[in-house]
Amino acid sequence: MPHSRSLLRVARRIASDPAAAEDLVQETLLRAWRNFDRFEKGTNVRAWLFRILFNAFYAQGRKARSSPLVASIEEGRLEAMSRGDARAQPPIVEAAAVSHALQQLSDDHRAVLLLGVVEGFTCREMAEILSLPIGTVMSRISRARQALRERLSPACSDVLHPRADVECAEREVS
Amino acid sequence: MNCHERAELTPLYLSGELEEERAAAFGAHLKSCAECIGELQHQARLDARLHDVLLAEDVNATKVDQRVREMIASRAASQPAYRDESRRWILATAGIAAAFALLVLAGHRFLLGKQVAQVYADAARDDQMEVVQLQPRHWYSDPAQISVLAQKVGVPQSALQALQRGPYRLERAKICFLDKHLFLHVVFSDGQRDLSMFLRQRDAMSVQGSADEMMNGKLVQTADIGGEHVALFETPQLIVMVATTQSSDAASHLVAFAASKL
Ligand SMILES: [Zn+2]
Ligand SMILES: [Zn+2]
Repeated sequence: MPHSRSLLRVARRIASDPAAAEDLVQETLLRAWRNFDRFEKGTNVRAWLFRILFNAFYAQGRKARSSPLVASIEEGRLEAMSRGDARAQPPIVEAAAVSHALQQLSDDHRAVLLLGVVEGFTCREMAEILSLPIGTVMSRISRARQALRERLSPACSDVLHPRADVECAEREVS
Repeated sequence: MNCHERAELTPLYLSGELEEERAAAFGAHLKSCAECIGELQHQARLDARLHDVLLAEDVNATKVDQRVREMIASRAASQPAYRDESRRWILATAGIAAAFALLVLAGHRFLLGKQVAQVYADAARDDQMEVVQLQPRHWYSDPAQISVLAQKVGVPQSALQALQRGPYRLERAKICFLDKHLFLHVVFSDGQRDLSMFLRQRDAMSVQGSADEMMNGKLVQTADIGGEHVALFETPQLIVMVATTQSSDAASHLVAFAASKL
């Protein structure tokens, strides 16, 4: 299905568990299919799909996030490592630190970082996807970047792998 | 522009949405303010970390795809009465696949115009940051790791091997994101300097445009963007792009070599 991997990547970071993430993507694609005749030619189909995804997510009511999702992503990564097919991934300490920090952010902050930084949407596209004024998107993503930075850099450590002896700059080069 | 205004406009700057006039003012402020440069570099590095980590995650949508396909197929079969003429036509003629093919095509039409320019601009920016400025990134130099990366973007092992039978040495590689697509970013050395090559499977999102010249039987498109020389060609399987600040000759040379091997 078009863009299903992108949608799932974002969904499993906002939904409460992996099954809920898959349901959300399924719902998105079905809605897209049902409303295809309302899709305006010449607009960005990817942004349109993400708009449906977030509408569906907000329609469900924001469920409290739980950590099992991140745990399952980390588990998957560890499994892949032990199978030896994760050699191409960033070092596990870095991945765990970034992933953990992202999940600690508020839903709103996480959403703009996923859309803007990971999926590469412009502020204008994000405004459309999240039904927000562009000014709100801009200030929100600035605050989200700040929040992520605070969670990643201050002690240069994370709960899984504290490495207080290593300088920030070195951690980033690692 | 002062530091405060610079901070406010940063999201638009990082997403490439600042129009010319404000981008110039933004750039002028950066030239005069070391603090803002530092701040922005920090921000860009943080973005790159988040981006690299999340895109390296294994996301498997096969199960969802399968479920959606089945549901669409059964609904289409059970509800033949659609008000909308065009949709009925789509469903009647070719079913779901066509509906989604159209959906994807609608996306293409939007992308094509902008994609040609955007993918060049992104390649130029990527080479500038990662190869010229040597900003910290996770590079891979082990051939086995590189071939795992290559698989992720549909580049066969044979293509990588072919590119190493010649004057260029493969130094390192990573996955990069250009115009919303993943590319294998390979750095080749000709003994003196490093040049960037970006490779990915040629899918439906193939880059179209007017070709500038023929090289070893392939149509090559070129562009100069902010000191970067970019050249692109396609084979039936691959999209291949080269970016370097060295010279347009250096870019052409690597492109001609790749076109002869792929
Ligand atoms: Zn300043
Ligand atoms: Zn790169």
